[in-house]
Amino acid sequence: MSGPRDLPIREQLAAWVDHLTHVLPAQAPIRDFVHHNTLHGFQHLPFDHALAAAHRQSGALTYWPESRFRECFAQGRVTRADLSAALDDAGVADLESLVVAGLTRRDVLLTSLLAGDEVAGEERIAWLRREGLCDEERMFQACASVVVASPAAADELGAWAADCAEVGETRTWRDLLAELTGEDVLERTRSILQRHLAAHLDLGVAAWRNPARDRGFFAAWRASAGFDLAWEMDELPNVRDEILHLPDDPLDVLLDALPRLLPDETRWFGYLERLSLELPGWSGMFLWRDRNPSRGDGTPVAMLDYLTVRVLLERLLTDDLVRRLVGWPMGVAELHAYFRERTDELLVRRAAHRARLPEDLQGEAASLVEQARVGHVDEPAWQALAERLRPELAQLRVNGAAWRLTALVRELGMTPDAVASLGMQDADKLLACAASLNALQRGHVWLLAYERHYREQLFSALAANHPRRLSPAVPSAQVVMCMDDREEGTRRHLEEIAPDIETLGAAGFFGVPMYWQGLDDPDKTALCPVVVQPRHLIRELPAHGAEALAVRHAARREKRLRWRERFYQDTRRRALAGPLLAALGSVPALAALTAATLAPGWFAETRRRWREQFDGRVPTRLALTAERDDEATPERPRSGWSEEEQVERVAAFLRMIGLTRDFAPLVVIFGHGSNSLNNPHLSAYDCGACSGRHGGPNARVFAALANRPEVRAGLARQGLAIGDDSWFVAAEHNTCDDGVEWYDLEGVPERFQQALDRLVGQIGEACRAHAAERCRRLASAPMRPTPWQARRHMLSRANDLSQARPELGHATNAAAFIGRRQMSRGLFLDRRVFLISYDPTADDAEGRIVEGILLAAGPVGAGIALEYYFSSVDNERFGCGSKVTHNLTGLFGVMEGADSDLRTGLPWQMVEIHEPMRLLVVVEQTTDVLTAIVQRQPALQELVGNAWIVVAAKDPASGAIQRYCPRRGWLPWSGPAVLPQVARSADWFAGQSAALAPAIILGGAR
Amino acid sequence: MKMLLDLLADWVWLVPVLPLLAVVVTGIRVLLGRASGDAAEPLTARLASLAAFGGLALLLAIDALALVHGAPGHRRLAHWFGNGNWEATFSFMLDPLSLILGTLTALIGWLVVRFSANYLHREAGFHRFFIALGFFLSGMQFVLLAGNGLLAFVGWEMCGISSFLLIGYAWHRPVATGNALFAFITNRAGDAGFLLALGLAAAWLGGFEWTALSRAKEISVVNDRLLVIGFVIAALAKSAQLPFTAWITRALEGPTPSSAIFYGAVMVHAGVYLLLRLEPLLVQVPDVMIGLVIVGVLTAIYAWLCGLVQTDVKSALIFGVVFQVALMFVAIGLGWTTLALVHLCLHAGWRIWQFLLAPSWLSITRERPPAPPAWLRNNQLLYTIALQRFWLDKLAQTLLVEPTQSFSRDVRGLEAHFIDRAIGQPGQGRALHSERPLVRVDGLPGRLLAALSDSLQRIEYRLLLRGRGGAAEKLLHRAGAYLRTIEGLLEQPRYLMMAVMATFVVIL
Repeated sequence: MSGPRDLPIREQLAAWVDHLTHVLPAQAPIRDFVHHNTLHGFQHLPFDHALAAAHRQSGALTYWPESRFRECFAQGRVTRADLSAALDDAGVADLESLVVAGLTRRDVLLTSLLAGDEVAGEERIAWLRREGLCDEERMFQACASVVVASPAAADELGAWAADCAEVGETRTWRDLLAELTGEDVLERTRSILQRHLAAHLDLGVAAWRNPARDRGFFAAWRASAGFDLAWEMDELPNVRDEILHLPDDPLDVLLDALPRLLPDETRWFGYLERLSLELPGWSGMFLWRDRNPSRGDGTPVAMLDYLTVRVLLERLLTDDLVRRLVGWPMGVAELHAYFRERTDELLVRRAAHRARLPEDLQGEAASLVEQARVGHVDEPAWQALAERLRPELAQLRVNGAAWRLTALVRELGMTPDAVASLGMQDADKLLACAASLNALQRGHVWLLAYERHYREQLFSALAANHPRRLSPAVPSAQVVMCMDDREEGTRRHLEEIAPDIETLGAAGFFGVPMYWQGLDDPDKTALCPVVVQPRHLIRELPAHGAEALAVRHAARREKRLRWRERFYQDTRRRALAGPLLAALGSVPALAALTAATLAPGWFAETRRRWREQFDGRVPTRLALTAERDDEATPERPRSGWSEEEQVERVAAFLRMIGLTRDFAPLVVIFGHGSNSLNNPHLSAYDCGACSGRHGGPNARVFAALANRPEVRAGLARQGLAIGDDSWFVAAEHNTCDDGVEWYDLEGVPERFQQALDRLVGQIGEACRAHAAERCRRLASAPMRPTPWQARRHMLSRANDLSQARPELGHATNAAAFIGRRQMSRGLFLDRRVFLISYDPTADDAEGRIVEGILLAAGPVGAGIALEYYFSSVDNERFGCGSKVTHNLTGLFGVMEGADSDLRTGLPWQMVEIHEPMRLLVVVEQTTDVLTAIVQRQPALQELVGNAWIVVAAKDPASGAIQRYCPRRGWLPWSGPAVLPQVARSADWFAGQSAALAPAIILGGAR
Repeated sequence: MKMLLDLLADWVWLVPVLPLLAVVVTGIRVLLGRASGDAAEPLTARLASLAAFGGLALLLAIDALALVHGAPGHRRLAHWFGNGNWEATFSFMLDPLSLILGTLTALIGWLVVRFSANYLHREAGFHRFFIALGFFLSGMQFVLLAGNGLLAFVGWEMCGISSFLLIGYAWHRPVATGNALFAFITNRAGDAGFLLALGLAAAWLGGFEWTALSRAKEISVVNDRLLVIGFVIAALAKSAQLPFTAWITRALEGPTPSSAIFYGAVMVHAGVYLLLRLEPLLVQVPDVMIGLVIVGVLTAIYAWLCGLVQTDVKSALIFGVVFQVALMFVAIGLGWTTLALVHLCLHAGWRIWQFLLAPSWLSITRERPPAPPAWLRNNQLLYTIALQRFWLDKLAQTLLVEPTQSFSRDVRGLEAHFIDRAIGQPGQGRALHSERPLVRVDGLPGRLLAALSDSLQRIEYRLLLRGRGGAAEKLLHRAGAYLRTIEGLLEQPRYLMMAVMATFVVIL
């Protein structure tokens, strides 16, 4: 079977599979959760087009529902002015043209956006008219009298033909059949497939694997399905025979099944795409493993196998359903012709699921369809019901139009009499104008208005803060934190507490991309953004003289972990050891559960201490310097850097953040990570710039490099002199419990001790103040806590087994500032802004440094913001739903319960308070430089030109702000530069639990 | 002290009733629309937690006193209903078996309530969850503490209902509701056994009290066997032993804490408790005990094989649970009831922890568990059988659920086509006579009423309205004359006395 005929089709299929990587979720196994744009495959399209395409393809909502936006309008989070400006931004044409006397298109559209597009069902309209206010009734009457009965009953047959033509474009046969019969074969397909898929992809739960898995998924599935008696029990008697006689090559099977579903070859790809998108989670994971064979367990995973089984099942099950539907075996492709002859039946079947029909009629239609499913329904019965349905369907359209018009004229403030005098023609014009934006365009306008409201506040804040230019003349310390939006709070509090400290921000891998292997790690992990492939391995080794201690530590730790493994694994699968271990573990488990319930913080602390006592503590050192000078590649990373490389890394990073002179006595490199329990999405809370891991090791490595005399000498040769009166210290901030872990403090020279003690105290205090700020968004946290109370709460929260929201992650992130801290120092930004340090005055004329920052931080920030965006606008399809029913599967993902699609994206608990908007990136640089950079970097061109992020420039000298619009170029901003002023952050947020507008903090001024 | 023990033991009914009270309060708040938003959550959670803790504290106090003075044993608190031959009572059993399990359940229940308060924060079904959980805790304590079979059965059903409600927690997912229905229907088979046994116990042992079971020696072995088999079926169904195992593997759709307490730790052991309670009956029928051993061994093999192929954590754990519960059945079958009891307690304690930590599996485990021996590993047929779980759920679906569904469909059809038509609906009436359009009827009662009113009208029309000379008037005149005569007679004292005496005779 490798004749010349199928060679092109093989290549074609490979291309199709390639293309699927654009539309399927690209989430890696959950252990390596890294934020990325959920619609990464559409990034080549402009934002609004991409969202429309994604909606068409998967039916997912791509904007917040209008009702949510209208709530914001009611709260003053969006204003009429925002909406009006958004209409201009969206490029809606002819806004000033008159629609009817005295009303421009802008007025009508604005009114329509505020009035809403939803139409109530017939029952509700009838109820409202019975019970509602007299006034409303008069208005509705008046509207009903002027709406033109819309074009005669749409052609049923035409609609049916159009639906059938959509198969392979936007829908599958199962979709069409589900609408006709109310029976969804996808449920069965998934139940049949799910166990096989999970077994094939499993990364370490099952002990016993399919014996045929080494031959690929198709072979493994076939070997099992051939023995499966479920086919007979499901009354599909011939299926097992058919499976037993399938050809060995999946391609043959696929090429046999596809034409039977769709004779038209050109629609095959569309069909495969639709089919994969019906189970996006499983399809996506299968494809990911297909593309990343090295990250699996050696089991061959080929997307073609999956598609073949999927298509085969689709054919078998739809054939069966069609047979039951029409009463005799018939190809699914003949469905169109079949129902063309039976219009009455078609009408009733489609009406059974039609929203807004009167309930009794819909109920009758549904019961007739159900009757047809279990028995037989005569032609006259269909006909009789269809006759009754037709006038109702016509009435539906009239009432719908009247409802829309009522909402519109009420919002316009017209009286019923005025409406009555409007005349049919004008009413029609009004309705037509309101309907000229489709649901997606309306969503887009709302989004633009919503973004604009926050953007105006932010620009005002920047403008108001521009003349203040706060920064300590002689800093007592410099603290370099991750750009993470969560650290905005930490930095602000630190500056309030210690006005003489300077803070900086950068991507949290601190310019040292590396593979890291800690003392206790069995394997190396990459600590750098996912797009970077590290070429060096840095190991943590026991300190000199502590080797024996380390051996003992490793042995005891191994012993402890082996016992733990034994308890959890063997109690579920060992016949003899299981009951014994369960019995042994029972009393400690109950005691632990009681302790963890009553005092989670104390219990975790105690457990950590015991563990440390048992394992023993080992002082460690870092193996930074390469011993041999062999080539370093991503496949074979070299252990350690050469001297030049070390100097190069440190210099590049310091230049990037603009810290090249005036070094303070202490420079703290402050990584971050998050620790929480019982949380499969753990790594989604970690540092995004470290591939969803803790950034502490990077901070530690960087500080160690910068303290090496050899490196300092090299730096000095480059003109970057760090004096002996400066020392680099590393720490890791736990964003969940707001604790700080300091590294290598024993190596700090005596002369810095006093300053260090003071700094450690200040940072601890800042973290506690930060914890108090975080409490305000958490319902179960104390209201108006003291910093110590807040820190205790965070500690127990992080260690609480039952806590589904250990922290809120990046929720509410909305903007990124790239520039000197002066532009934002002294501003309350509500932990919503990524802060990246960059000194425009130290950059060259081309802006090489900012180019590098944009290239690294742009995709990371956009990925985080867009993943949060999509997971919040449609948590069912783009997100993974609520955590409470999640069930960890095969160590690579979560399902809901024990039989569902694999759920990707962010859980609802992470995004519930998120405010979905695109990231606004404000760069402190001139527009010319930025334009040139975007033009020469295709990656940025895509992000900025297609409006996946919004870019603004703040002139380094004048502070003037301009926003970039892909359609209209740079637009200068003018607005009020006034802002509320408070003494300290706490004065602004105390007692507030909703999102807060920016404010000026006076306390930080010194 | 002894008095205090007696006093506390008389208040033991609070243990199951407290959670029920919390359920009622929460239910009322939900009905009144008072339970919405963040602010309403703490009250619901605290009430449930307080009720659970109250039960735990009371049981602990009784335990402590019982350690000193001995367990209070069977307490009859009130009469419920009954007739001369048998009586149902509100009675509680406070022997070591009930006290141990009741206390353990109360502790686990309290911990799970505390756990859920955070875990389910801001869920749409927050209050619904706590209502179902409280209902379950109450039901479970009725099962464990009841002094008679009838009260235990009430608890048994409460557990079944709350299990149904929590499997269907995510009611918008067809899989969840389908599985909830599946578990509910399969469990009905066990309830039938329980009811049968209760009926027989009333007939042969004269009551439902567990103490009456010690009289089991008095009835014949044949009767005893029938009685025991009823209870054994109930126990097998609730503890998910063969052939009922399928339901528990499909019951994992609810939130993690509910999966933990129902299927991991507490409810799954209810069947084991029932058999331990029935030990005096059980020892009379060795053949049933052999049956228990066989079922237990088969279930253990089944669960062990299926457990090896599971790929999701909850399913992998549930087969581990079924396996160990099967061992308890084997132990009971062999007469080692103490071992079974100890195993039960320890197992429940471990599983609640393990289930609640199921989301941590990624960080707890390091490597794939070792593969089974080669003869098993490479057997494709056995692998398929294990992966498809011996097709038990499909079989149960075909044999139990689908017939039930078609039966309900038939009943609905009957109702729609015959009963509804016969009864008629208001507002749907049609005029019977074209000349009287105001009389509109629908359905059989309507027609009957119309016919009755027709004939009454005819009577009225014919007899009375025709005026003088009508037959009715003559009759009435004659009757009036008789009555006047009788009245005249009664006014005479002798007849009055006779009438009074006749009245007394009738009364006496």
